[in-house]
Parts: sequence; C-alpha cells; structure tokens
Amino acid sequence: MCPLPLHDPMTEHYLPGAGQLVLAPAEPHLVRPDEARALFRLSDPALSELGLDEFLDELLIRARDALHVDTVAILLLDRDADELVARAAKGIEEEVEQGVRIPVGQGFAGRIAAERVAIFIEDVDHADVLNPILREKRIHSLLGVPLIVEGDLIGVLHVGSLTPRVFDERDLSVLQVAAARAAPGIERARLFSQLTHEHRLAVALQRSLLPKSLVQPPGIRTAARYLAASDEVGGDWYDVFELAGGRIGVTIGDVVGHGIHAAALMGQLRTALHAYATEGRDPAQTLELVDRFVHSLPGDAMATAAYAVLDPEQGTLQIASAGHLPPVIVGGGHARLVEIAPSPPLGAFPYGRFQQLEVPLAVGESLVLYTDGLVEQPGVPLNDSLAEMAAAIAPADTAEEVCQLAFEQLVPPAGVRDDVAMVVIQHAGLGEQLELRLPADPRMLVQLRRVLRRWLRERGASEQDVTEVTIAVNEACANSIEHAYSPQPAGFSVRGVVSANGNGEQLVITVIDEGRWRARRGENRGRGLRIMDAAMDHVEVRAAERGTEIEMRRRLRR
Amino acid sequence: MNLAEIELIDRSGYVVARLHGEIDLSNAAHLQDAIAAGMPNSTLGLILDLSDAQYMDSAGIRLIYQLRERLRSRGQVLRLVIPAQAPAQDALRLAGVSGHIDTAPSVEEALAAFGA
Repeated sequence: MCPLPLHDPMTEHYLPGAGQLVLAPAEPHLVRPDEARALFRLSDPALSELGLDEFLDELLIRARDALHVDTVAILLLDRDADELVARAAKGIEEEVEQGVRIPVGQGFAGRIAAERVAIFIEDVDHADVLNPILREKRIHSLLGVPLIVEGDLIGVLHVGSLTPRVFDERDLSVLQVAAARAAPGIERARLFSQLTHEHRLAVALQRSLLPKSLVQPPGIRTAARYLAASDEVGGDWYDVFELAGGRIGVTIGDVVGHGIHAAALMGQLRTALHAYATEGRDPAQTLELVDRFVHSLPGDAMATAAYAVLDPEQGTLQIASAGHLPPVIVGGGHARLVEIAPSPPLGAFPYGRFQQLEVPLAVGESLVLYTDGLVEQPGVPLNDSLAEMAAAIAPADTAEEVCQLAFEQLVPPAGVRDDVAMVVIQHAGLGEQLELRLPADPRMLVQLRRVLRRWLRERGASEQDVTEVTIAVNEACANSIEHAYSPQPAGFSVRGVVSANGNGEQLVITVIDEGRWRARRGENRGRGLRIMDAAMDHVEVRAAERGTEIEMRRRLRR
Repeated sequence: MNLAEIELIDRSGYVVARLHGEIDLSNAAHLQDAIAAGMPNSTLGLILDLSDAQYMDSAGIRLIYQLRERLRSRGQVLRLVIPAQAPAQDALRLAGVSGHIDTAPSVEEALAAFGA
C-alpha cells in the first residue's frame, strides 16, 4: 500500500498505525541550493518582528511553493492541554478557522508530535487520520514533520496533495529543512508577541489602576502626568483624595520592578495607602501601616512612596516619605526642595519608621511630587538633576504649568527609560468671588460649610459673621436639597461676593436651585427661614428661571 | 469619617447621650433613631449633651423636638446640656426657640434638675 522509495539506511519503515509510515531523517544535501536559500530566509530574525501571524503566513507560502503541494498547515503545541492547535494553514484554512485541536499521541499530527518523527501517508482514506477536515478536503497524501527548538517540541508542520503523491526523500528533506529553519523563528515570534501582549496588558492594567481624573476641591488645583517607558511598564502611581475636615491627601510611589507584577503591586499599594489614610491616620502612621502591609505580601515587594496631607484652612502640609525623592514646593517664582529625614523604602526593613514634617503651604504655592524617571540621568549626579528640575518648574504659576514645564524641559524627545509620574497640588485659594455648584445631596452640606467658612475668613469676616452666615446659607441650601426637583441629577449653586457699601462691606450670597421653594411643614414650618432672617440683614426668595433663588445680604461686622 | 458620633452612658437611671461632631440634614434623622434605640424602657429620661456639637441648625432643632415627643410617648423626659458659648446655642438663638427649650450648662446640673 505504500510504494515508497524506501531503502536502507535513509529510511527505515514499519507500520505504526493504519496507512502511516514513519520516516527516518533525510539527508539535508538532497535539498537544492535555491530551495535551501528560499527556506533559509525563513530564519531571518527580521521576520519575527512581523509578529507570529505574518511570520507563519510567509513560512507556509514558501513551503508550499518549494514542495509544489496543495495544502500546508502548522499546528502549535498547547502545553497546558497537551494538544496541537491549528494555527496557520494554506489550502485548508478551515483547520484554523474551526480551531482544530488534536491530542498529542493521536492521529497523524498527534503521533508526529508524540514520537517526534516524520510521517508519510500515501492514502488518507486508508489511514488513521483524526482530523475530518483532511478527509473533507479530499486530501490524498500527507507528509508531516515535528517542529523542534532546542530539544522542545513546539508543533507540527505538514503538507498535503489532493492527487495521489509519493513524497520522496527529497521532499522530506525540504520539509525538514523548512521545519528546522522555521521552528526558532516561530518560537521567537511567539515570545515576541507574548511579550508585546504582556506589555499591552501591563499598560492597560496600570492605566486602570491610576486615577481616571483628579479631585478638584474648591480652592485646590491638582494636576498630574504619567509617561510610560516605551519598552517596560513600571509600577509608578499617584493619587489625590479628599479627607475628613476638608483636607486633601496626595501621594506618589514607585514599585521596584517592572511589568505586570509591578503594575499589580502598584494597585495594591495605592489602595492600601488610600484606605489607611481615609481612616484618619497622619502621613507617617499611614506609611507605617502600608509598610507592614508590604511585609505581609509574598515575595520581595518593595516601593518608595511619599504622602502629604494639605489642610487648606490652616495652610499647612504634613509630609512623610519612605525612601522617596524630596518633594518640591513651587510658588512666587521659586522652587525649593523639602528635605525630609531619610526613611527606608516600604518593604525594606521590618517595622520601618517614617519621619513626618509639617511645613506651611501659602495660598498660590504648589506641592510637587514625582518619581525618579524624571530626574535620573546617566552620569549626572542626582543633586544636579534635582536642581535642574527645580529651576525648570520654578516659574510655574499653576499646578498644570508645573507639569507642563517639567515634561517639556526634562523629558527627552526620544522618550524615557523609566516610567515618569508627577502629581501637583496647589493651594490656590478661593478667590474674590465664591462660585460653588453642588449636587442636591445632604452629605454635601458639610463641604459647603467648610468652604464657605474658609472663603468668609479669606474675605476678612469676623468669627460671628462666619458662624451666623454659615448657618443661614446652610439653611437655604438644605431647603434646596429637600425640594430638589429636576429630571437631571439635581444640583444647586452658591455664589458669594463682598462689596464696599457706604460705611462698610456688604456680603451678598445667592443660592439658586432647580426646585420650587417650600418651607418645611408642620412643627418645623418656617424654622429654616426664621434662622436665615435672623442671621442676615435681608433675605429675598424669588422664582428663578428653573427654580428658586434666595438672595441674602449682610453687612460684615468685622 | 462620620459627621457625628454619639456616646451613650448610664447615669443614675438616666441615659446621657453625648454628641461629638456636627448635626445637619444629612444625619439628624439617623442620630435621632440611634439615640432612641439606645434608650431602654426602664430609663427615666435622656440627657442630650450637645456641648461638643460643633455645628447645629434647624435639622438639629427638629431632632430635639421629635426626640422629646418620642420620649414623652414612652413616659420619659428629655433635658438638654448646652453651655452658653457652645455652637448649638447659636441655632437655638437664631431660630428664636431659646425661650422654649430648657438647657443646662452641664450634665451634673441636668441630673440635679432631675433630682437624681
């Protein structure tokens, strides 16, 4: 049944399964030089840069042309499943489209893989062929060889003829050369595409773990930048969050290591730090807790981090650092490094202690936190790069400008070798006029009162002014919230202005909402309005375009 | 980070509820329920200590009135502790209810007024 040109010692044959012949390796010299050249190009390293799909496509076309066959297919080993998976094909594209899987050890391709031998089938109809597509396509004869790289089987390459064909030793040696040349290229392309896949995954993961947008509480400006290194993803992070008492937490960190694991660890640390910070811990205590958390993780996790809390009412910053680069304060055309006593990175030593510093942050000034990718340059002492950065950002007037100047002047056009993160928080002050827009949610009232008190103090109001105006405005806003009426998520706005008026200064506060004014009913009827009347010199409730407008005036007592 | 927290202590048959933080529309109803739930039927009355309330407005006044009604239906009495300079006094004064609500300057004086 197999009229093969079989003769010792080139080909040893026996009957491994119905209709199959196992062939001994053929002599490479049987391959013609022009064929060898065509096939040799398959190992061209540049091909692997094509990505696996393009590489396999090219390989199959060359093998088909060299052997004058009708079909050619590559199955790659799925090690976890111990199966061959059809990965690329010409003439029998259905194999790939249907995702044909052949268990190693079974059928034509499965036996080639299991025994690492070449197999020839002259007549598919009379052979042990598992894959129905080969029959459906009316393939008559098949020849297949294993793909082996450094002793590891990575797949099977096979060719087929629709007409009866006896593949001879020369055909076998051409196919073997093709396999030998192609296998390392496949492996390289596969590793390459795995790497790019992992890189993409790490980038996506890291992006998802960074804040989507930064909180912008009244009187505070925030800005941030993240620039990923082109080749490897790092574990840099930053975060800005609101804390109790109107304070703002700002943090930055840099996980030691790269890739998807660093990105994942970054996500854990960012979450842990935020959680401890929200529990009301000060920066040093927060870093100590995160340090303990890092020690509880498996492996040698390590990271540097800095954490600062801004109290806009007091105009103070509390800062602690775990082996991180010194923060910078920018304002009034100057930039100065904040020197914090050195502390170890998170995860470096058990029971790390972290120094905490309190410094003033005046209205207009910004705190700048960044990671080492921004300042580390080969061959330049760190102090010099820090001075260069400080000089670059010193002229900035806003948080956003700090980021702009730093990235324009310090990031080389070719990109960065390490990830760069920067986050800036500016104590901007509330300004001459108060402009607030808040959702109609009672939980917003506490923020409203805090911002209002701060603004009134900034405008020079006395403590009695602050107390009484705050309670009156709160009553007006509480009424807006209780009677919010809007098809969209309802909200209300508060405007405040102080103007010189005759022999003093007059405060005018306007609360505008999207609902109809209704004083509370029953026993509490009008109590809020009575408080407003008592606290302010003049209160006027009027219908506005879409809701109610309450205007309140009071001469500041000073 | 709760806006307010309540501490309940038993003193000579009365419950002393000491409130720390701020009372506004966002938490007044919840605080009222929490205090009422902490009052056993055997208790003679409630001393609501607002010395440490840093902010209070009409929502707090409503809490006081409603709590008083709730306790009255159970045969229990309410006394308030608000020192003269405490922020809670501002709300009572501005709302014009200072004359209708008795306040004691300290828990001790509130207890003495109960005859406890």
